[in-house]
Amino acid sequence: MHDRARLSRRKLLHTLAGTGVIAAADLAWWDEPFIAPRKAFGAMPVRFQWSVPEPTRIALMNSMVERFNQSQKDFVVQIEYVPQAQARQKLISSVSGGNPPDLCQIWDNWVGQFNGMNSVEDVTARAKAWKHYADVAPTAWQTVTINNQIVSLPLAVTLDGIYYRTDRLKELGLKEPTPDWTWDEFLAIAKAFTKADKNQYGYGMRGGGTWALLYPSEFAYANGAEVLKDGQVVINSKEAVDALTWYLDLALKHKVTPPSAATDGFVEIVETFGRGVTSMYQHNSGSSSQQKKNVGPEKFATLPLPIGPAKKRASFWFSETLTMFKGAKNKEGAWQFMTYMLEDEPSLKYNTTLGLLPARKSILDRPEFAKDPSLAGFVNSFPIGIVSPYLAYPGWGGKIDSDGVPLIQQAMLGKISAKECLDRFAEVLKKEMS
Amino acid sequence: MTSIALSSSRTRPLISWRARKLLIGYSYLVPAALCMLATVVVPIILAIKMSLYADVLYKPQEYRFIGLGNYVRLVQDPVFWQSLWNSVVWVFGSVILQFIFGFAAALLLQQAFRGRALVRTLTLLPWIIPGVVVGLIWEWLYQPNYGVINDLLIKVGLVHERVAWLSSPDTAMAAVVFTNIWRGIPFFAIMLLAGLQAVPDELYDAAHVDGANVFQRFWHVTLPLLRPIIVVATATRIIWTFNYADLIFVMTGGGPANATQITSTYTLVQAYSVLDFGYAGALSVVLLLVMLAFTAAYLHITRGVEETD
Repeated sequence: MHDRARLSRRKLLHTLAGTGVIAAADLAWWDEPFIAPRKAFGAMPVRFQWSVPEPTRIALMNSMVERFNQSQKDFVVQIEYVPQAQARQKLISSVSGGNPPDLCQIWDNWVGQFNGMNSVEDVTARAKAWKHYADVAPTAWQTVTINNQIVSLPLAVTLDGIYYRTDRLKELGLKEPTPDWTWDEFLAIAKAFTKADKNQYGYGMRGGGTWALLYPSEFAYANGAEVLKDGQVVINSKEAVDALTWYLDLALKHKVTPPSAATDGFVEIVETFGRGVTSMYQHNSGSSSQQKKNVGPEKFATLPLPIGPAKKRASFWFSETLTMFKGAKNKEGAWQFMTYMLEDEPSLKYNTTLGLLPARKSILDRPEFAKDPSLAGFVNSFPIGIVSPYLAYPGWGGKIDSDGVPLIQQAMLGKISAKECLDRFAEVLKKEMS
Repeated sequence: MTSIALSSSRTRPLISWRARKLLIGYSYLVPAALCMLATVVVPIILAIKMSLYADVLYKPQEYRFIGLGNYVRLVQDPVFWQSLWNSVVWVFGSVILQFIFGFAAALLLQQAFRGRALVRTLTLLPWIIPGVVVGLIWEWLYQPNYGVINDLLIKVGLVHERVAWLSSPDTAMAAVVFTNIWRGIPFFAIMLLAGLQAVPDELYDAAHVDGANVFQRFWHVTLPLLRPIIVVATATRIIWTFNYADLIFVMTGGGPANATQITSTYTLVQAYSVLDFGYAGALSVVLLLVMLAFTAAYLHITRGVEETD
């Protein structure tokens, strides 16, 4: 081989050493490389974790992120799709491991726990300087405010209402219920809808997942009960026990619920309504789009929760949030994307596609929400919306799943009384008041 | 002079030849040992350490050493004892029936018949499907309102009302165990089929000549020769089922009312719902100890079985 063409050992070592020095020099600028191009075609990445319960969300989020990325050149949002069931677990692992995403879509009932882990970024100053601050509903801000600090932006809000089959009401010759209906009317309709021999039931009671406990809690508020009063847990008050007894009797005494109620979660209550097994169920506006496909938009409508014996009612307000982490490497990019998602067009697109309600009042007033009968029950629930009392302490969310749900399931199966269920759950909550 | 020169060239080496040979042998094991250390030993030590601390992720200010506090709490926790009993039912109910049906399937697949290769492949299907998918499929099959199982049972007149298989504490455990049996049969079938194919035909011929009937040939020839495989397969399967949480997590989430809560799902709930990693660590350590005790007892009982006569 030609001597000139051959790389001598000395040259090789020099080249390696030189490369090492350049690499080491650039290492210090790891986050913002000194040598690597940035502005021209190397926008700063924003890691965004997004939980995926269904394909519609993937398509929607892909298009929205693409539009954001094309609308400016400083930041590029990279979506990390995670199945909804694993989203919380993955987030906990990444936060504990010191490598959280910059931004995440999470429900407000998780935010308290992450805030307790001291991992959530305080965005109060940014939020108050934001141009749409005053346009966001005050209750929506409450759901994302912990110790006077705003920790997230409310992307969408949900309130619980009752879905019911209008076509079946007509078939049975029943009067259409009005938004100020009562428990008695609710029960009468549930009984009329129930034809067990035809596998039809009046009410799709939920026994699986966190909301198995939240739904009866909402009924308890209609009987004058509360979860927390003057800093004391009062979920086992007489009013609450009476309300839960009435609620459980829907399954145990009146048998207007399907036999599977004790383990029916979100998917089951939505599916059984969609397939005509149940004719009413309690949920937020999130399943309205699905029911438009399953049942047909002209065959169902929604109402606020019925008024209870105490002439009261309440619907728990939850927010789907965009939350930034303290460990975020690109906070500015994350904030830009958060606010972009709450702009008029993205917010309208997001909420109408998924059947959710926007947190901004000016968007909520649009006919897409105000005039849609499938959303009427939820829009009408705004005056009775309260922040979920279970957001009061960060440990309560987990205790609902680990202790509350098995207790309510036992009560639904008649293994324990309503009083025993609430007494035991009150003890669990008291231990977690720190 | 010559003898002096020879003795100086034969100076004693620093390490003897035998020691060097031994060291070389051990050095080959170092990579594997390091891997084991990093992936098994260190996590176990960390889990033990975690179990000795009050480690609730959303209460970092309360993180402190509490000694056996989590274990004391565990002993007083009725759900833990229920989950432990459920684990026993789940493991032994599943594995015993998987073994029996798997053995029957292996004996059938050993026979010569047309399309045997296809049937053997199809037998593997439940094993190939991921656990989560199996859970979802069976959850829908059991669905009381529109599931196929209830529909068929009502049509043939075996039941008159729809049974809420996964929603009743009386049937939920049986339902998930049945699903696990369905999934695990191929494991035993394939393992035992491999063993059956290794049994020499001459032994059956000799037994036949000696006048042994089918049952005697099975008892005195087949079973003793398959014993090593049975011991290994059963032990592996028991340990695996003890730790296997996917199916129950998908089908019932441990419900209704903890009726299907096994120790591994309870550990998951404590870690990822309650975020109580200290308590979850204690549960994991107890699960490990139970498995170690069981494995030691099992190996003691079946000592020598792995060596065929």
